[in-house]
Amino acid sequence: MINAVVTAAVLIVNLILQSTLLQLIEIRGVMPDTMLIIIVSYALLRGQNAGAAVGFAAGMLYDIFFGSSIGFYALMGMLTGYFCGICHKNFYRDNLVLPVTLSALANVIIGFIIYATGFLLENRYNVFYYVVRVIIPQAVYTGIAALVVYRILYGINKKVEAKEKQRRKLF
Amino acid sequence: MKFFNEYKRQFMILAVIALVIISIFTAGKTIKIAGVDDALGFIITPFQGAVTSVTNWVGDSVNGIIERKNLEEENKELKKQIEELTSENERLSLYEAENKRLSELLDVAQKYQDYDTVGSRVIAKDTGVWYDSFLIDKGSMDGIKNNMPVINAGGLVGRVVKTSAAYSNVYSILDTRSSVSVKSARTGDAGVVTGDYELMEQGLCRMEYIDSDAEIVEGDEIITSGLSEYYPEGISVGYVKEIHQDENGLTKYAVIQPKVDFKHIDTVLVVQEVQDKPSGAEVN
Repeated sequence: MINAVVTAAVLIVNLILQSTLLQLIEIRGVMPDTMLIIIVSYALLRGQNAGAAVGFAAGMLYDIFFGSSIGFYALMGMLTGYFCGICHKNFYRDNLVLPVTLSALANVIIGFIIYATGFLLENRYNVFYYVVRVIIPQAVYTGIAALVVYRILYGINKKVEAKEKQRRKLF
Repeated sequence: MKFFNEYKRQFMILAVIALVIISIFTAGKTIKIAGVDDALGFIITPFQGAVTSVTNWVGDSVNGIIERKNLEEENKELKKQIEELTSENERLSLYEAENKRLSELLDVAQKYQDYDTVGSRVIAKDTGVWYDSFLIDKGSMDGIKNNMPVINAGGLVGRVVKTSAAYSNVYSILDTRSSVSVKSARTGDAGVVTGDYELMEQGLCRMEYIDSDAEIVEGDEIITSGLSEYYPEGISVGYVKEIHQDENGLTKYAVIQPKVDFKHIDTVLVVQEVQDKPSGAEVN
């Protein structure tokens, strides 16, 4: 219960910041995708079920406010959380390599899917431009941002888990 | 929970199929999830508005300190401009009155009408990197409806695509999902202005399907033609920056410098009028 409330708050605060303050650190039209980092972090810290659920919720939130269809980003988020959750079992939490690489990798894959569905189908064929100017820069930027965002979520998760343990002892 | 864990894979496959179907069916439509949309809007948009106000204020103050020296000069310049514009405005309003009288005599409807507009603040921008859409702080409670054109002092900004109770989503004309039918104000050559990802970052857009015989030249003003479903005639879009021949040899395309500065856009006007023209498909 505590976890659900905290997670919802994290997602909403992220949406608010991502659509306002984060626009200021835009470099040549590219911004880090903090929503994706949150999904990856939850999947690594809490496993496949939590990853898929958080991914679905975060994607749905984006779909409601900015999406051009309902369900597209929810699907992307859910799959990201589900597949990144596979690494949960053998994941050493203080290790930053996995959150950074998975966030960047997920960003590249989702970037390709968006390009293929939204741009390639509308006769924008120069894949090279999109890869060099959008997909790779964004993945790198997201990877760097993951260093910070994962740390924050790691701290939040630690506190939530401590609270959950307390409750378990009470009952 | 145990049941869920046991059938995790099957559950995921079902969810994926369901989401794929839903997203294909809702693509390009403005679908609201009843209640959820409005409720989330009430929770989130005030915060977005507040954060945007604070960042704008900080940005303005910092700029103010840096540019204090230039301000006096700019002030003088602007005062001079106001005088010039006031005299021009007086002259033009005389023309308008004359135009009205003459068109009444000729029984012709006014071509460029005045529209009622509602001022609105831009509170948040799309968090993704692929599109150029933003949220404004007025929604259906303030009389905003889907497909209302959005303008700025300079010219056309875009179109409202989704209204919720407390906010609306606007696609700018730089967004690749937007298209506006336009014409050259000087020659009347028609075309369609669409967003182009490669130009979007520079704040430019593209005018397509210009006839190769068209006499359009660099510097021509581009205005909405009134042929499209959503935009009334005569709203200024921008100026022609470059003209290129298409590969097929039959058409040309132009790079358009919009009048609106999309990098620094914090207030917009929503035109309170939905064009009730039938779309091309319905005419056939």
